[in-house]
Amino acid sequence: MLTDLQLNSILEDFDIAYWKINLFSKEISWSQHFDSLVGKPQIDEDRFEFFINHILHPDYRYDFRIHFEKLLKENETFSFEIKLRLENGKYRWFECKNQKSRGNSFRETAVLLFVNIHQTKRDQYTIEENFFYYRETAEMTSTGGWYIDTVNKNIYWDDVSRKIVDCPKDFQPAYEDRMKFYAKEHHNRMLNAFEKCENFGIPFKLELKMLSFQNREFWVRLTGKPVYNDEQVIIGIRGVLQNIDENKNNELNLQNSLDIIATQNSRLFNFAHIVSHHLRSHSSNLSLICELLRESKTDRDKLDLLANVEDVAGNLDNAISRLNDIVSIQTSLKKERVNIRFDEALDVVLASISSLINRENAKIVAEFQDLKEIRYIPEYLESILLNLITNAIRYRQPGRKPVIFIQTYVENDKEYLEVSDNGMGIDLEEYGDKMFGMYKTFHQNNPEAKGIGLFITKNQVEALGGTISVSSTLDIGTTFKIKF
Amino acid sequence: MGQKVELACIIDDDKIYVNLVKKIIEIKKLSENLLIYKNGKEALDYFKEIMQNTTDEDKLPDIIFLDLNMPVMDGWEFLNEFIKIKNNLNKKITLYVVSSSIDPRDLERAKSFNLVTDYLIKPIELKKFEKIFEKTAA
Repeated sequence: MLTDLQLNSILEDFDIAYWKINLFSKEISWSQHFDSLVGKPQIDEDRFEFFINHILHPDYRYDFRIHFEKLLKENETFSFEIKLRLENGKYRWFECKNQKSRGNSFRETAVLLFVNIHQTKRDQYTIEENFFYYRETAEMTSTGGWYIDTVNKNIYWDDVSRKIVDCPKDFQPAYEDRMKFYAKEHHNRMLNAFEKCENFGIPFKLELKMLSFQNREFWVRLTGKPVYNDEQVIIGIRGVLQNIDENKNNELNLQNSLDIIATQNSRLFNFAHIVSHHLRSHSSNLSLICELLRESKTDRDKLDLLANVEDVAGNLDNAISRLNDIVSIQTSLKKERVNIRFDEALDVVLASISSLINRENAKIVAEFQDLKEIRYIPEYLESILLNLITNAIRYRQPGRKPVIFIQTYVENDKEYLEVSDNGMGIDLEEYGDKMFGMYKTFHQNNPEAKGIGLFITKNQVEALGGTISVSSTLDIGTTFKIKF
Repeated sequence: MGQKVELACIIDDDKIYVNLVKKIIEIKKLSENLLIYKNGKEALDYFKEIMQNTTDEDKLPDIIFLDLNMPVMDGWEFLNEFIKIKNNLNKKITLYVVSSSIDPRDLERAKSFNLVTDYLIKPIELKKFEKIFEKTAA
């Protein structure tokens, strides 16, 4: 058997201190190690009260008294955690437990053990704390973790990942289904990234669209890094998955607004330039006339010049009313969109230009089967049709009966209107970028050309958030395509 | 009155303006003859035709007033085409860009062409016209 001395030294090595309590006299004696742990205090009062008041952390006083009473009365094992103030004045964690005496008949002494658990406790706290931060960060930023075991073909998602994908908490994604959660258009990017990571250990960071359990599309940021075993062979890919749908959508919306503002700004700029240029050209003519009037000597010369003033006045009036047309596009934007049938809008337009159509013997074929109506501003739709149709007739191929084919359709959820003609066509390489500019005319000897129709059409289409494009072949014809 | 410009050329689609300039040239006797084209293409076609026949050099203008905004072929396009053929012409031709545009970008762009002597903003005063013609004739 071990002597008390040996036993003490073993306990000390394990950092275990103890009390020995005489159950009759209630006298408490501290082990040497306990005494030295708490700094060998001089105790004049009751040892128990001294311990309670000076060594035990106040939070545990109540618990300790209860357990101590129990220790004196019963022979049941217990264990609880307390904080004790040590020699250096700092509190440390101890596990306090009794030792069940072997002889169950009669007890003379009880032993209370104090096991230093401070390091364990601290580690546990650190882990709990880290885990707390990890969870909070993951929740707050909607960031989930995932792991793919590329050897055994298994997928693991953590709770947050499951939440992001909106699947049941116990859902286990199958390896074969791993692409199912990504939007089709991003399958290739996804597969590429995974293959590169699995085969060559190249990490990835992607922004792509995922599909939720309910097939809802949303944007995520996905990172992945290879996991190696001890032989430096890749056995899996590990990464995080962050829901950035809100940010991404904000970003896309912002870009969208930016684009709108940029086009509006360039339209305004163009407009200001036009206003300045076209009003200035008339005013400069006027001042030139005034100068010449001053110089001219005969009445005849003066009368000639006065005729010019009349012309300038007429031109100025025209210019202003055209500018007014453009301005009115912006103001009529406040008008409500309504459901309009394409065939009805076309009828209105054809009625208004029936004499032109008859004169040129133009044939107009309309095909509205795939898209019969649209929510739009009626005046705009009519004006767009009117401009494109009169444009097509005006630039017919001489000697060829003008045929205009109008059709509407839906493609990728977008609504389209196409107006094609068999006219003279236009060299887009040369004039393409000017096609929709103001006062641009491209065909010689065409006095009807005012160069304003397509400019207005483009403005109307864009004002309602659409786009217009053109394709054309010289001598074959032109097609205007409007995406609403 | 000193020397006179033999042949001046106006490329401009504004009929009223062209008429007025014509009057100025007549009244002030600034040039013997005047060529008028209503867009760049018409002018270019004429120049190209002259080039076929080198003896027709006096049919080339001494001075050109070029508008910017014109249908069919605008002033910029004309300049780009004119650069290509200019070296084949054995005559010194002074070219002024004349526009009612006060857009500084137009001014910059016009000055980037070596063959553009100056950029004139409409309206041009009579005295300025006279000066320009005198300078060209000298």
